[in-house]
Amino acid sequence: MRYYFIGLWIVFSSALFAAPKSNSNALDIYSATDLRAIKPLLDDYRARHPDVQVNYHEFNTLQLYQTIKKLPLDQQPDVVISSSMDLQVRLVNDGYAQPIKDSALEALPDWAKWRNEAVGFTYEPIVFVYNKQAFKGKTIPRTHESLALSMRSNDAFYTHKVGSYDVRRSALGYLIATQDEVASSISGRLQESLGRTITQVYCCTSQILDDIASNKLVLGYNMLGSYSLARAKHDPRIGVVIPEDYTLVVSRVAYISKAAKHVENARSFVHYLISKHGQQVMADKSELIALYPSLDPLTDRLLSTKQTINFHPIPLGPALMVYLDQSKKKRFIRSWENALSPSKQ
Amino acid sequence: MSTISTSYSLRRRMLVRSALLLLVVFVLLSIGAWHYAKQAANYSYDRLLRSASLSMLEGVHVTGANVDIDIPYASFEMMQLSSEDKVFYRVQGPQGNFITGYENFPLPNQSLGKERTLFYDANYLSEHIRVVMQRKWLSEPEVSGWVSVYLGQTLNARDQMRNDILVRSLATLLGIMLLVLFVLWWSINRALEPLSTISKSLFTQTSFSETPLDKTSIQEVAPLVDAINEYQTRLASNLDGMKTFIADASHQIRTVQSATQAQLDIASQSQDLSQLPAHLGRIREEHLRLTRLTNQLLSHAMVVHRGDTRIVEDVNMESLVKQLLTECVRDYAHTEIEFSYHCDGRIGSVQGDWIALKEAFRNLLENSLVYGPAKNQIDVSLTQEAGHVNVIIDDQGPGIPQAQREQAVQRFKRLTTRKEGSGLGLAIVSSVVESHEGRFFLEDSPLGGLRARVQLRVGES
Repeated sequence: MRYYFIGLWIVFSSALFAAPKSNSNALDIYSATDLRAIKPLLDDYRARHPDVQVNYHEFNTLQLYQTIKKLPLDQQPDVVISSSMDLQVRLVNDGYAQPIKDSALEALPDWAKWRNEAVGFTYEPIVFVYNKQAFKGKTIPRTHESLALSMRSNDAFYTHKVGSYDVRRSALGYLIATQDEVASSISGRLQESLGRTITQVYCCTSQILDDIASNKLVLGYNMLGSYSLARAKHDPRIGVVIPEDYTLVVSRVAYISKAAKHVENARSFVHYLISKHGQQVMADKSELIALYPSLDPLTDRLLSTKQTINFHPIPLGPALMVYLDQSKKKRFIRSWENALSPSKQ
Repeated sequence: MSTISTSYSLRRRMLVRSALLLLVVFVLLSIGAWHYAKQAANYSYDRLLRSASLSMLEGVHVTGANVDIDIPYASFEMMQLSSEDKVFYRVQGPQGNFITGYENFPLPNQSLGKERTLFYDANYLSEHIRVVMQRKWLSEPEVSGWVSVYLGQTLNARDQMRNDILVRSLATLLGIMLLVLFVLWWSINRALEPLSTISKSLFTQTSFSETPLDKTSIQEVAPLVDAINEYQTRLASNLDGMKTFIADASHQIRTVQSATQAQLDIASQSQDLSQLPAHLGRIREEHLRLTRLTNQLLSHAMVVHRGDTRIVEDVNMESLVKQLLTECVRDYAHTEIEFSYHCDGRIGSVQGDWIALKEAFRNLLENSLVYGPAKNQIDVSLTQEAGHVNVIIDDQGPGIPQAQREQAVQRFKRLTTRKEGSGLGLAIVSSVVESHEGRFFLEDSPLGGLRARVQLRVGES
């Protein structure tokens, strides 16, 4: 509910000051990224472009999509950023984006770009997060398979104590859950286990992390790696497992609006995000994980020490729109509800 | 013969023309390649589109009266094979009711018959798209009708494939064209090589020599070499004739001169005055021969010259022959020679040179007079038949034996039996007739002697 109001406030406030101001050297960013996580990048960009007034508006993934769909063309922001890759693809497909002519795009892996319009600029693995205290003396499940087994054999330990995204409220949660189904045959069994242990569902990563830290939950399933690893660095109560059998990787996607009022600034910002320098700042200072593994000490470490990890980046492309199909979505959510929370309807 | 208008290089002309031809071929083939590339790209991606739409149709299922679709992930993954293209779709129930996808998706303009598949082009969300409509007939207890999937795709991959094919085929074509051009250049050079070889060998022959050009093994060049060699041979034989003629003429002039000289010597040393008239008579005779010889030489030179310069005018044969006869009759009025003249009807005029023709007929008449007996009958007749004028001169002289007639008519040939002749009379006639494109015959005369007949064309020559 709180987010709903924030969303409203942002729409309202942006209408209040962004529109009449129409600063010729501004940059309006609508983003589904915690300000805390992206602030170092914004600060660095501001320092390098002191003349550009960067207006950053934060949304959650679903709100962002709905806002963009509702806004008339002349009020579209310049850059839209979201980790919800499927919704971003849909917006590009529906003609909200313009091509980014930037040679830096060529260096990006194929899965991280589509039509030179949507650009992924982070590398965020989907992980398990656990409470270290709770798992003391227990084997920590390191694969989806072993997690399913462990949940089946320790009902008492897990019941009411597993948290995950509410796919109805979190677009990122929906993307991860659907891609889980695409990527692996185990997801059905795992969903069943999650349902049996009466998994708690949340809208946002930070709340799940809070509850794991406070031992209200013992395990968070399908958590966004960037926020979790950042929290784990400072919070000794929390541990992060990068699943070894397969690890989905989500990339935060940016696009430049077709109706962007500050195209030059938008281009320079997107270029900054994928440039060596921007990626380095991201790796060193922000909670986000840089796309280029060699730059980020964290991913570098992960990739080099656990050779067995099978990273599975979600490729940008129209296939992501399948689960956005009205019928398909209804069907998926129904079966998810049946499996996970038969009580809630 | 007209002068050479502008000189040009055969090699360059051939090369430029072949290059232009190749360019035209290249342009035509390029258009073909463009069509082919477009077709190939459309064909490939239409198949992809169709497979994806069929796969989508697989996801259609019916529960009671409710038609629903569970889009298979694979169908869109298939679409992702053209990785840079946007995808739009719409699924529609039996009553045309929207089930899922893009609600305002563009539908085909034409009405549908029984077909299950239909491809069409459309515009959607400011993109050009290619659409496939794929449908299947539902016949369930509660619903029956067509359930249709409309699947559209932007054209990036098609355009890229078309351009790829086009660029590749054009590059290949261009390569082939350049190769052909090179081969052409090489073979044209090769083909023109014998030409320069021949001219080189002709240039190296410093003065006129009778050694023929070397035979060539190239069949196309052999006729040229043969022609040059034949021309050379003819030229050589003409030159020979000329040499003989000059030798003969100088011999005769010297003979006559030394004979005159001898007669003069005898006359000047003679003591007997009564012998003087006889000496003078002989000297006069020799002098007449010399005069005649000189006249004929000059006349021959003039006739040949006029033949070369080709003077053309209307020549009335009747008045020409009459004028000539009048002169002869006047000159020979004191002799026992009788002339007669016949003319058949109206005689057309001949295109030609009055002076040369008159010279020719004068020679014929003089031949008859000189070689004929003292009491001679000379008939001149003019006849016309089938566009030709015949001038016939008959005499009662000794004639020319059948076997020698052909030789007698040839230029510069002289019948050795006739020592007093210069060998020029008939040669002059022959030259004139030849330059008038007529014909010259020596035949037997009904009067017992020789008949000389000249046939000339009436009208324009």
